Amino acid sequence: MSLTIQALINGILLGGVYALYSAGFCLIFGVMGVVNIAHGELVMLGAFAAYWLFLLGRIDPLISLPISFGLLFCFGYILQRLLINRVVGAPPIMSYILTFGIHLVIANVALLAWTADFRTFAVPWAGTSLTWGGLVIPKARLVTFVLAGFVVGLLYLLLSRTRAGRAIRSTAQDWEMARLMGINVRAVYALTFALGAGVTGVAGSMVSTFFVIHPQMGLQYTIVAFCVAVLGGMGYLPGALLGGLLLGVVESLCAALLSPGLSVAVTFFILFLVLLIRPRGLLGRGMLE
Amino acid sequence: MNLRIVIGLTSCAALIALPLFFGGYAIRLATLTIMWVGLATCWNLLSGYARYIDFGSVVYFGIGSYIAFLVMARLEQSFWVALILAAVASGLIALAIGIPTLRLKGAYFAIATFAFAEALKQVALEWDNLTGMSLLGGSHGATFPINTSSAFFYYVFLALTAGILTITILTERSAFGYALKAIAQDEDAAEGVGVNTARAKAQAYAISASFLGMYGATESYWLTYITPSSVFDVHITIQMVIMTLLGGMGTVLGPAVGAAFLYLVSEMLWARFLYVYMAMVGLIIIGVILFMPQGIVGSLRGGFPKPHKEA
Amino acid sequence: MTLTVTGPCALWAAEKGFKIGVSVALTGIVGADGRLVKDAYTFWAETVNSRGGIEVKGKKYPVDLVFLDDKSTPAVSAKLIEKLITDDKVDLLLGGFGSEQVFAGSAVAEKYKYPLISGAASSNKLFERGFKYYFSTLGRATEEVRGCVEVFTSVEPRPRTIAIVGANILFTSLACEGFRKYAKEHGFDVVHYELFPIDLQDYNSMLLKVKEKNPDVLLVGSHMLVAMKVVKAMKEIDFAPRGVAFSYGPTVPKFVEELGKDAEYVIAASEWTPNLPYKDDIFGTAADLNRKYKERFGRQPDFVEAASIGGAVAQQKVIEKLGLAPPLREEDRVALMKGLYEIDMMTSFGRIHFDQTGANVDHPPVAVQIQKGKPVNVYPADAAEAPPLYPMPPWKKR
Repeated sequence: MSLTIQALINGILLGGVYALYSAGFCLIFGVMGVVNIAHGELVMLGAFAAYWLFLLGRIDPLISLPISFGLLFCFGYILQRLLINRVVGAPPIMSYILTFGIHLVIANVALLAWTADFRTFAVPWAGTSLTWGGLVIPKARLVTFVLAGFVVGLLYLLLSRTRAGRAIRSTAQDWEMARLMGINVRAVYALTFALGAGVTGVAGSMVSTFFVIHPQMGLQYTIVAFCVAVLGGMGYLPGALLGGLLLGVVESLCAALLSPGLSVAVTFFILFLVLLIRPRGLLGRGMLE
Repeated sequence: MNLRIVIGLTSCAALIALPLFFGGYAIRLATLTIMWVGLATCWNLLSGYARYIDFGSVVYFGIGSYIAFLVMARLEQSFWVALILAAVASGLIALAIGIPTLRLKGAYFAIATFAFAEALKQVALEWDNLTGMSLLGGSHGATFPINTSSAFFYYVFLALTAGILTITILTERSAFGYALKAIAQDEDAAEGVGVNTARAKAQAYAISASFLGMYGATESYWLTYITPSSVFDVHITIQMVIMTLLGGMGTVLGPAVGAAFLYLVSEMLWARFLYVYMAMVGLIIIGVILFMPQGIVGSLRGGFPKPHKEA
Repeated sequence: MTLTVTGPCALWAAEKGFKIGVSVALTGIVGADGRLVKDAYTFWAETVNSRGGIEVKGKKYPVDLVFLDDKSTPAVSAKLIEKLITDDKVDLLLGGFGSEQVFAGSAVAEKYKYPLISGAASSNKLFERGFKYYFSTLGRATEEVRGCVEVFTSVEPRPRTIAIVGANILFTSLACEGFRKYAKEHGFDVVHYELFPIDLQDYNSMLLKVKEKNPDVLLVGSHMLVAMKVVKAMKEIDFAPRGVAFSYGPTVPKFVEELGKDAEYVIAASEWTPNLPYKDDIFGTAADLNRKYKERFGRQPDFVEAASIGGAVAQQKVIEKLGLAPPLREEDRVALMKGLYEIDMMTSFGRIHFDQTGANVDHPPVAVQIQKGKPVNVYPADAAEAPPLYPMPPWKKR
């Protein structure tokens, strides 16, 4: 029984990790309709930012979070302005392929710069855990979980309560109309992508405290983000939390109670079935293309 | 028209005669290029013409590989029996999976097919552990009888690729082809005018799956050793998608040109720039999307009507 | 791309020296491991070339290595071996990293009658195909982990229960089978045995289950990435059995570098450590090899690197003995293959003597433990530099 509870806790925390690194993916898709295959590379860059800042500057990843946010924000802005803007509004396949190209370039340049070595670093507090009545709660994951709720909440508020948010939402609904209303659509897209990249960088920094990182880690993260987004409903931001949690809990319970080999299979079968039964995501609030 | 036939026949003759003049690496490169031309063409049939982006095509490649292993190594039947059974099994599974899945659209279809492929990869890995049989070999992999004739595999792949290309050419001019293109333009409208869209999609999906199954069977026999991770590898799907898009989706020659171009270019870059070639391939992909969004063949032709509504 | 006509290549006679091709992963899942193999061969070639090259009938021929990246993909490895043979027209081959990759490549080498000696692929199946041209300086994967299990018979209090987990890929799953086999032989109680997919992102839940069973010892079928992830996850979920051992990973210097203190007490299988009484006339003793390697690359060689060097040395010695001058013809390589079966020699990697299947004779089972940031030989007792530290303290008391 305690194993079940422990696995459940672990699954919920893992769900927070998934949600945090998928939120940016959802945001970008929701506003621009761009499926960003290079998403995992943003996670990777965020992770390496935290790694180097810790290694060279002895800056704790928690403190360097704003720095990785800023770095990735700028990187995302430039990427959007230079490249991705050109495929917004084109058939979705164009964005898959363009961002796949970007994925290859970033991953391989990183490989040249940082070699294929697997890296990890020991932040004194991050590797340890809280114990409570025999249950273990790893600290770094707890922080990540809280951060996930915070980031998704903040993005949600930003979209619903601020002027910039309204501009983003109206652009997402109908960009032609938005332009007629005097909104600078390009600027809105660049801002959105930069925001998405920034929070993904934050996620990457957190991930680096408990996972092993390397330049070619990205694709796996993209795949999970895609699954999370679909489960929650493509483009529906709070869905990222739900999708992440569901994925994390199912995976964790399967790994602990059945077999880890089945956990991956079961996760994907559930995803497959959810899609067949509720194609707009679990809450039915996602959009169909 | 005549010129086209002459060019066509000459290149056919050249392709058939190739193994007489070349061997070793050259013939392996030619064989692999032909294989990728075929794989991309398979992917194009549904995803290119009907714009149903399939991110799990590799699943039929993997199914075909394991069917071939069961038939050849476990039942000790000939390769030809394996090839036929791989095609039949892949096609039937594709029908069973495709009929519900093809109701999904856009990214949802893409991720559903992907999820199915990943799930099946894990099932193949776990099968022996779960059932207590020693059937598929799990991560220990599966070994095939050895056939060292390069020419044999060259001709099998050539025949398969000729087959799927012929089907594509016939499709282009048939009611089936129009149905697929109508789905890409506007599926609801197509249904409105009486096109049986469900049937057309399922047919295209099953045909390409049968061929993918045969490609999987042949490549596995050629490599002599497979594991679930190698034949259900998501990179195989990615490669098919990229090649088709580079060449031009929904055209007969696009996937072939894209596949040959990408395969040979990455081979050349790789030989010269060991450490940077993947980044260069990425740059080429970005360049093509930005400057020739219709793909190589599409751009040369001056483009075809965009299938999507918004700009 | 240049297309070339195959056939006997007399045109190549103009080139001097031995051209040796290696298809090895430099990118992909085993890219980091593959680079070790590349360094090892580079080191061998530099050492040999610094003395003028391989000596054949009194004349010295330099060595020229051609490395190609198989991207950790078996299909690519097969293609590259064929390219090396028929396009680059190499005289000889050396093996890459990883059983799956070498598996695919060895079938092509066999077809062209090129001996392929690998020092970084040891899956049992590689030796079960009746290939004549495939050799490995490592023992079989299942036997390689023997020291890792036996080391626990030498500690007090003797552990009773053992849990075994491993990644579900060829090499690591065989290591798990080896763990189980030797654990049973020595009367340990295997309370848990499970393979997990290599794609598994989070190891916490998988290890929670092991923790629940509270084994005395955890044995892990791993390569580098898996080993690092397991250590991180163990610490996170506060799981510290009395002993933990890995089939591969901790002997690579990067492991200690990246994990720091968390790498302490970890035990790993090995087939070579620098304190063993091995030597040859190229590198000197195992300790000399270790020292020179450290001067060149700034780190100690891993046993896989020593084994790769051992393979290169064996091939070199047979060539020198038979007097095969480049460019090698097919009959030279057939002679080389036959010669390789006959050797029984000592190298700085240890004894090399291939059996009928091409596997090297069993090396003494070595286990090393990370002690104060260094891999230290802890088993067998007669070769040990220090006794194994056991039991491993809980994470919170470090």
